[in-house]
Formats: sequence, structure tokens, C-alpha cells
Amino acid sequence: MIPFGTSTQPFSSSFSIHFLSENAITIEFGQKIDEATFDKVHQFNKLLNARPFEGLLCTVPAYVSLTVFYDATIVINAKNGLIGISGFERVSGYLVQLHTQMTAIEKNTRKTIRLPVCYEGKLAPDLNYVASYHNISPAEVIRLHSSVPYKVYMIGFVPGFAYLGGMNSLLETPRKAVPRKKVPAGSVGIAGAQTGIYPFPIPGGWQIIGCSPLRLFDIERPSPALLSAGDEIMFEVIDLEEFEAIKNSNSWKSLS
Amino acid sequence: MEITVIKPGILSTVQDLGRHFYRHQAIPAAGAMDPLSMRIANLSLGNSPTEAVIEITYADVSIFAETDLLIAYSGESCLLYAGKQALPANRPLFIPAGQYLDFSHLESGSRTYLAILGGWDVRPVLGSKSTYLEAQFGGLSGRCLKKGDKLRSSENLTQSNKRILASLKGLYINFPSWSVHKERFTALAKKTIRVVPGKEFTWFRADSLLSFLSSSYTLSRDCNRMGYRFNGQGLSRSVQTELLSTAVAPGTIQVTNDGSLMLLMADSQTTGGYPRIAQVAQIDIPLCAQLKPGDVIHFSAISRIEAEKLYLNQEKELKRLAVAINILCSTTSIPGKGSQ
Repeated sequence: MIPFGTSTQPFSSSFSIHFLSENAITIEFGQKIDEATFDKVHQFNKLLNARPFEGLLCTVPAYVSLTVFYDATIVINAKNGLIGISGFERVSGYLVQLHTQMTAIEKNTRKTIRLPVCYEGKLAPDLNYVASYHNISPAEVIRLHSSVPYKVYMIGFVPGFAYLGGMNSLLETPRKAVPRKKVPAGSVGIAGAQTGIYPFPIPGGWQIIGCSPLRLFDIERPSPALLSAGDEIMFEVIDLEEFEAIKNSNSWKSLS
Repeated sequence: MEITVIKPGILSTVQDLGRHFYRHQAIPAAGAMDPLSMRIANLSLGNSPTEAVIEITYADVSIFAETDLLIAYSGESCLLYAGKQALPANRPLFIPAGQYLDFSHLESGSRTYLAILGGWDVRPVLGSKSTYLEAQFGGLSGRCLKKGDKLRSSENLTQSNKRILASLKGLYINFPSWSVHKERFTALAKKTIRVVPGKEFTWFRADSLLSFLSSSYTLSRDCNRMGYRFNGQGLSRSVQTELLSTAVAPGTIQVTNDGSLMLLMADSQTTGGYPRIAQVAQIDIPLCAQLKPGDVIHFSAISRIEAEKLYLNQEKELKRLAVAINILCSTTSIPGKGSQ
């Protein structure tokens, strides 16, 4: 049952289009988190940003969807390649047409971003808890956490916060019963099956096992968020001395 | 032009129409909660509709004119006074230097916008002058106005700006006989919010959908620039699937796990994981922005086609209004109706 018959337009088995607002459309590529869906979202995102339509404002990738924000007052008057009587029709038509060209694109070659993390002392207040929760050594927690690549599925929650997928299930740990009033910027935490990095100081209940000296979010940068959905990252273990050095110079090999 | 803030009110921030190019970095749009009143205040001065304004929450704001001012205000939460003299909304007002101005409370709504000739001059951050309080950037260093703040207007004036100023400038408070008829742009039923069914509309039980579209909902005290929670008939789901977080937008109505409604507003997070029962029609966002805790509303469903048509029509009318004001200003003199 689709009420009013117009909010949803499935047009291909692998791809459906939905109304979000008068200025936004969501394209859904699947129902569950997997590599194939992740690739589709990011390939299409890349293609759309390489070939934007007139009036496109911004695209927001999420776990299985890409949301396209646009200015309907521009779209409705655009002359090039947008056909239809409504903005929704014009944009969805464009997206369908663009999607047919997606197969021609070669598979995304992602580069892995290495993020330095110090898993020591005050920077890792919950490391021992996580280790004892799983009955393993803190060194093993660090090894498990820093030995696998993670995918950035989505930036959400607060500016620059990356939802990472790929954590070893041996590290799954419930949130703290009482959240901290302020978690320092750069803190690397675990909450259930998720791991993530706090971009700036905010309250939070994640188990903090380390801290990155990099600025995950800096409003003075032209692109304030360090990570983007679609990136692949690895955590690189550093010691306190390196932590201070990187923090003070704000430079790191992976950023150049 | 310059003002000093004498009384800042409970939450006054600098806002424009928002940040629209950084949602993928989870940076919310922010911007005026009631973009209609905000634009009418700007257009009344011959400003571009995107110029920065001051968003006043409720009232109790006082300012002092350090220089001559040309301002306009529009909204539902206050009336502007110079001493005992009430000054009309939705039209340009010339205020001579040395005047104190007070925004005093009106019962009808919760937000009012103060625009100044040329717009308030604050540094744009990521292409917008809007204040985003949570991450503390934009506007006045990412914070609300406080006592003693000095705000200046931009000196880049349009031809219309200059003409309006020339026609009203003098030694005394002065304003023209015309004003923008804001009622023309707003729905008559201010407590009926039109919505388009959302992507997860069909995840709810039929009787819950019936409640959603027929029973009344009361705005709770839990409401701010990020979002509103409503009290009313709880809604239950027939589909229990866990939703994978996806993009949301101001106007999205989510149903939280306790079955209550949460309407996302200007500063809302950019992604969400609660099922979206509906999306408020863009043209009714200003009505939502003016709701106060305790206000009782109804939701009524329209199609996305109708919502888009209403939205585009209103945008067209606002463009026509801007043109009409420009034409009005280009006639040699605008009759003043001052108060000597």
C-alpha cells in the first residue's frame, strides 16, 4: 500500500527513489549493510557529483542510501537535461538516466587513510575496562582495533562524526551506564558493534580506548570534516610522544 | 549603522537562510526557523532575502541606536516600541541615532526577525552567517547575543536600499504608509500543519495513522531550534524493522521508540534512524516555527505534488514582492508618515 501513490517510485530492482522534502530526494540501493551496497552508494555519489544537475546543492550518503538535496526553484526552471512538470519528476528522471551509465564506471579504487591513535594512559580511560570485559589483555584490544580497515559509512550525529563499519566483533562492548559530561576531541570509542571518533568535545557514553591527535573537525578548513563517507581508514598505533608532536604541529604523513 | 544590545532576550541569534552545502559533513542547515517572516523583514528594506537578520525568541529584547538606523521587523512574538510609540511590522522604519527600542511580548507566536539595511555584518562561515549553537560557529562567534554586544550593518547597499533610506531619512522616527501584507503568504488555519506521508508512513498500524491524521497534538516544553516533541495519541508500528540511519531534513517528523512524534527543525541532526511518518510541507514550516509549548495542532495530509506546487508558488510570490518593492522604491518619493 502506497498512500497517495506518489511518494515512492521504484524503477529498478537495485534502486528506488523516495520523496524526502520539496528540496530533497533519497535513492535507496539496498536494505542491509554490505560491501556491494556501500560501493553502489559511493559510485553513484561520485558520478552525480562529477555530473551535477542545475540546482544540486549537496549529496548525503548513508548506510544504504544517497540523499540528493537541491533547490527546487532552480530545478523547475532549469533548461538542460531536466524534464518533467515537477521538481521531483525532473530530478528523479535525471537520476534514473544517470544510473544507466553507472555500469560503465570502473570500480572505486579507494585509498586507505591512516589515522594515528594513541592508546595510552589518560587518553584511554576505558581501555582496561574493555580488556577485562572480554577477558583479554589491553595490548590485544589495541591489536584487534588497529589491525583491520574500517569503512566510513556515514557522517552524522554531530558535524564530522564518522560512523565506522568493520570493527572486530570480539571488541563489541556496551556503552557506559553513565555518559561522561565531556569527551575530549579525538577520542576513539566503542559502543556496541560500532567504533568512532569524537570530532570535538561533547557528552558521550562510548568506551574510550584511545585518542587521535588529528583534528577531525576544524571549522577553519575549507572542508571542515577530515573524513568523508566512502573513505577507508586504518588506525595506526602511536605513543604519547608522537601524539604530542602531531598535535602540536597538526601535521601527519597521511594528510599531505 | 550600529546598535548596542541592552537586553539580549532569552535566545537571540544571527541567522540567514542557512548552510546548504555541508550536510554530508553532518553540518546542519541552521538558518531562520521562520524563513517567511525573515524574508519579509529583509524585503521590506530592499535587501536580498538572504541577508543576515537577528532571530528573537519570544521577546524582552532592547537595543540602542548608536547611529541612524533603517530597520524592519516581522514575526509573531513581539511588537516593537520606541518609548511608548508602537512601530508597525513588515515595513521599513527609520530610527534616529540615540533612540532606545524595545521588543515587547505578543501572545501569538514565538519568533520575530530584525533586519537592517544591507544586512547584519558578521563573518560568513562555510558560506552562511547563520549561528549554529551546538558546534559554536557562525553568527556572533557561534553564540547568542549578550548584553553590550555591538552589531553593525553591511555597507554594501543596493539601489533599493539607498532609495528607501533617502526617502525616510530625517531627524525623527519615520516610516512609509505601505507595508507587506504577510497574511497573504500564510495559511488561514494556523494550527493545521500540512504534511506529506514519509517513507516509513506504511510502517505504522492503520489505527495509528488514523490518529496521526485526525487527533490533536500538543507541543511539549521539549522544543528548541533542533526539534519539537509533541504530546498526543501514541503511535504504534506494524513493521518492526530497525531503520538504518539515513538523511533527514528540517520538517521531518520521526516517531521515537515510545511512539511519540518528534519534528526536526532548523538545527536538527542531518541523519536519523527513527521511522519518518511524514514531512511537513515546506510552506507550513513557518507555522511550526511560531508554535509555543501548549499549542494544539492537527496534521493534514497532502500529496508531494501539491506540497511542491504550494512551495514553488510561494517562492514565485516572494520574488514578485521583491520586484514590487523595488518598483515602489524607484518612484521618486515614497510618502513618509512620520511622527514628529
